[in-house]
Amino acid sequence: MSGHDSKYFSTTKKGEIPELKEELNSQYKDKRKDAVKKVIAAMTVGKDVSSLFTDVVNCMQTENLELKKLVYLYLINYAKSQPDLAILAVNTFVKDSQDPNPLIRALAVRTMGCIRVDKITEYLCDPLQRCLKDDDPYVRKTAAICVAKLYDINAELVEDRGFLDALKDLISDNNPMVVANAVAALAEIQESSSRPIFEITSHTLSKLLTALNECTEWGQVFILDALSKYKAADAREAENIVERVTPRLQHANCAVVLSAVKMILQQMELITSTDVVRNLCKKMAPPLVTLLSAEPEIQYVALRNINLIVQKRPTILAHEIKVFFCKYNDPIYVKMEKLEIMIKLASDRNIDQVLLEFKEYATEVDVDFVRKAVRAIGRCAIKLERAAERCISVLLELIKIKVNYVVQEAIIVIKDIFRRYPNTYESIIATLCESLDTLDEPEAKASMIWIIGEYAERIDNADELLESFLESFPEEPPQVQLQLLTATVKLFLKKPTEGPQQMIQVVLNNATVETDNPDLRDRAYIYWRLLSTDPEAAKDVVLAEKPVISDDSNQLDPSLLDELLSNIATLSSVYHKPPEAFITRVKTTQKTEDEEYADAGEQGYSDSPAGVAESGVSPPASTAIAQHPAARQPATPAAPALPDLLDLGMDNSNSAIVSADQPAAPAGPPLPVVLPASSGQGLQISAQLVRRDGQVFYSMMFENNSQVPLDGFMIQFNKNTFGLAAGGQLQVPQLLPGTSASTLLPMVLFQNISPGPPNTLLQVAVKNNQQPVWYFNDKIYFHVLFTEDGRMERSTFLETWKSLPDSNEVSRDFPSSVINGVETTLDRLASSNMFFIAKRKHANQEVLYLSAKIPQGIPFLIELTTVIGTPGVKCAIKTPSPEMAPLFFEAVETLLKS
Amino acid sequence: MGLVFSRLFSSLFGNKEARILVLGLDNAGKTTILYRLQMGEVVSTIPTIGFNVETVQYNNIKFQVWDLGGQTSIRPYWRCYFPNTQAIIYVVDSSDTDRLVVAKEEFHAILEEEELKGAVVLIYANKQDLPGALDDAAVTESLELHKIKSRQWAIFKTSAIKGEGLFEGLDWLSNTLKSGGG
Repeated sequence: MSGHDSKYFSTTKKGEIPELKEELNSQYKDKRKDAVKKVIAAMTVGKDVSSLFTDVVNCMQTENLELKKLVYLYLINYAKSQPDLAILAVNTFVKDSQDPNPLIRALAVRTMGCIRVDKITEYLCDPLQRCLKDDDPYVRKTAAICVAKLYDINAELVEDRGFLDALKDLISDNNPMVVANAVAALAEIQESSSRPIFEITSHTLSKLLTALNECTEWGQVFILDALSKYKAADAREAENIVERVTPRLQHANCAVVLSAVKMILQQMELITSTDVVRNLCKKMAPPLVTLLSAEPEIQYVALRNINLIVQKRPTILAHEIKVFFCKYNDPIYVKMEKLEIMIKLASDRNIDQVLLEFKEYATEVDVDFVRKAVRAIGRCAIKLERAAERCISVLLELIKIKVNYVVQEAIIVIKDIFRRYPNTYESIIATLCESLDTLDEPEAKASMIWIIGEYAERIDNADELLESFLESFPEEPPQVQLQLLTATVKLFLKKPTEGPQQMIQVVLNNATVETDNPDLRDRAYIYWRLLSTDPEAAKDVVLAEKPVISDDSNQLDPSLLDELLSNIATLSSVYHKPPEAFITRVKTTQKTEDEEYADAGEQGYSDSPAGVAESGVSPPASTAIAQHPAARQPATPAAPALPDLLDLGMDNSNSAIVSADQPAAPAGPPLPVVLPASSGQGLQISAQLVRRDGQVFYSMMFENNSQVPLDGFMIQFNKNTFGLAAGGQLQVPQLLPGTSASTLLPMVLFQNISPGPPNTLLQVAVKNNQQPVWYFNDKIYFHVLFTEDGRMERSTFLETWKSLPDSNEVSRDFPSSVINGVETTLDRLASSNMFFIAKRKHANQEVLYLSAKIPQGIPFLIELTTVIGTPGVKCAIKTPSPEMAPLFFEAVETLLKS
Repeated sequence: MGLVFSRLFSSLFGNKEARILVLGLDNAGKTTILYRLQMGEVVSTIPTIGFNVETVQYNNIKFQVWDLGGQTSIRPYWRCYFPNTQAIIYVVDSSDTDRLVVAKEEFHAILEEEELKGAVVLIYANKQDLPGALDDAAVTESLELHKIKSRQWAIFKTSAIKGEGLFEGLDWLSNTLKSGGG
């Protein structure tokens, strides 16, 4: 603990950060600019340059636009990590927002909106207010977006300062770009508020329709999206709006086209005149068709949207089925979607053409596509009664090709066709039975068995066919077992002869006594009971007439369809999922606690995997932080980012403490104090080496009992026997007086190994920005080094024991140690990675053999001899490194005591 | 030849800018003084949350003048600006007699700073135009300037609004810095 230990902190190399700091403070502008560039470069590759915050901010007041932009970029990135110092930038922002150059004014207000630090948001209001009324449209439109950003940070502030009204005023702005951005901002604000904020009135409507024709393409998208939410007063108004919007359908940008389609579809709901509707449908077809000549990715998006549109209004594309025919070089994802739409558009009029296509597809190479094509034929058969026969003949032709997966897929759909048209096409069963042997997929097998059971009376050798399946009954998947059971019962009820009777015995036995599957067992018992009590009732139940099916696969629920249609041209319409299924918006205003909890509950049950993790406001979010894998990486670079992700608007420094706290505060004894507050000028440090998840950590707690905030904590370890050194940065947030913070510092081994005999001394130096360097000694607990792979086989243990010379055997007595229970002791030792191998009794003594291993694979073979319940344990060890023995004994003694 | 001369000249005082901090409590007139010095006119100001920095050329010396906000919340960050500072201009609102004690305490705290050991100190007893403003002698008394040891200092009566006293102070500062006092 002497002063000369300070050498651990001073090296001849200055390091990158101090060099940059010097350059940032250079008197030469060029040098400063270069330095800021270097800082940004370091920032983008992930180096932490946040300590240069003030130096960079000091370069902010400059004439040089390039330099200013770089500093702004830096600020956006680091203001969150330096919330206190961020205030130093405020004055420059205020000045820049009044700069004669509109670019700088806009830049300033945009950047301020990106800095999500509570302390400075209030200073943002005045410049923002000014910029909303700026002469330059570019500044106004940037300010409009900034209001939305500010709303996300502090909704109350936005409402109190009247920014919402200012935004609404901007809708009447004479510049279309400003109007579009104001609309975008209002729409975004509306999404995060549960209260109606943005409602289009007849006045704003005309403004929007005027701006629509003049603003940029992306501006048009915003306006169209807003218009699609407008509820027109009557059919005439809806017609008028649609008329104004229809020219957008010809736009080259597909986003504009889709948004226009969405908007027209929404307004069409109100339009009563069939003529107008038919006319509109006609107008919408060509632009949608045009979308399919774009790149495959855009085609895919278009197809997913068209899928929805076709479900709602099939007439639009009824005559365009040809454009959905697959091209040989379409990517598979496009082909699959096209197929889906073809099925939806198939009609009696075009079915011949479509079937030709499907048949063609069924001979292609991609298995998934072929299967889907076969299934498509079946679905068309179910959908179009008059075409069913043609579809079946195509299916039979395909079966004759004898391609395994085609046959199987065909049998699956034929089963559905039989359900749809009972007693119509049974003549083909014979053909199906020919392919019986090729079936190896559960679904196909199950389908075939269903067919055999259902039509047992018409298949002469049904019992033989079923019997062939029964042989492998126990090995079949549950799906097939269930069908076999039912089919056998049907067979028995239809042909109660000797053969089926035997079969049913076998099946019921297999399905009750021999199975673990409760579904199968329950069904078998029900049949059994039915058959044994009243075979006639069994007939009524099992052979009852089945309801006719229709093809409702891939049909969306009407309410879901409407919701998805109102989200056309968004991710939602591509996923075919409502937005709340994959994103969670934090509603910022007017929410009671109860509602928040209710929300959280729903998200907990939602099947979207993202649902829980992203749930915003309430308890799940906080647990998400607590359970963040910070336990492994207590350095938590991710932790400060979490609140951002969740948009909790939490005070950053707070959350940093919380997240560092969680993993480091296990239920257990408090950490030993290594630096008492009395010798640390009020700073108290408690610390201990611990092992967690196979890694060594330095578990530390800092308590600030001084009068000043402490920050900039750093740690260094002196050379030690095991070369233990910090494996990462010490992550301790600024400590205000009277607060404390815990952290887990990951440690690495074999860095700076001190020569000489092994010892357990760990010399540590800690410094911060406010105090001198503190030195303290800690003890290395040898057992934290025991690795998880220290378990040995008995034979290996014996061999190793024999192979080591006797000189490697050391022993020691622990006169005060007692082993009261063998099991508990072994459990405790195992939790410290000392593994039990064997035990024997020697007179009244218990002899235990254990093994342990330290890094670099050095094994310790241990023999513990003791009389249970009596003080005195003898420990003998053999190891290739007998010089470690004293440390090892110390560790064992500690473990036995604890 | 010209190059040699210019080098000679620059070596007299470098062509280095002198780094000057303008400090003082909030509402003392720091920002007004800065822009009076730089542009020669009175600008309307709002409380400085952060800093202003301008270059002022006077008597062949370039001053890089840092005007730091005086709010209580910002004072702790003054220290970020202390390194490499040649001079401090400490501005006092001579009419705000209630807060002269605070001004004194802040002032002496600054003088204690290790990093400002070599900096010369110029005090502006500002707002002389206001009725009831203390004169320089009284401000000297209140700030206990006589306690300053081993450091060059001077106090000037100023009125930033009227532009009085500012350049006299700057004269003193440039002379002191030229003679190597900084």
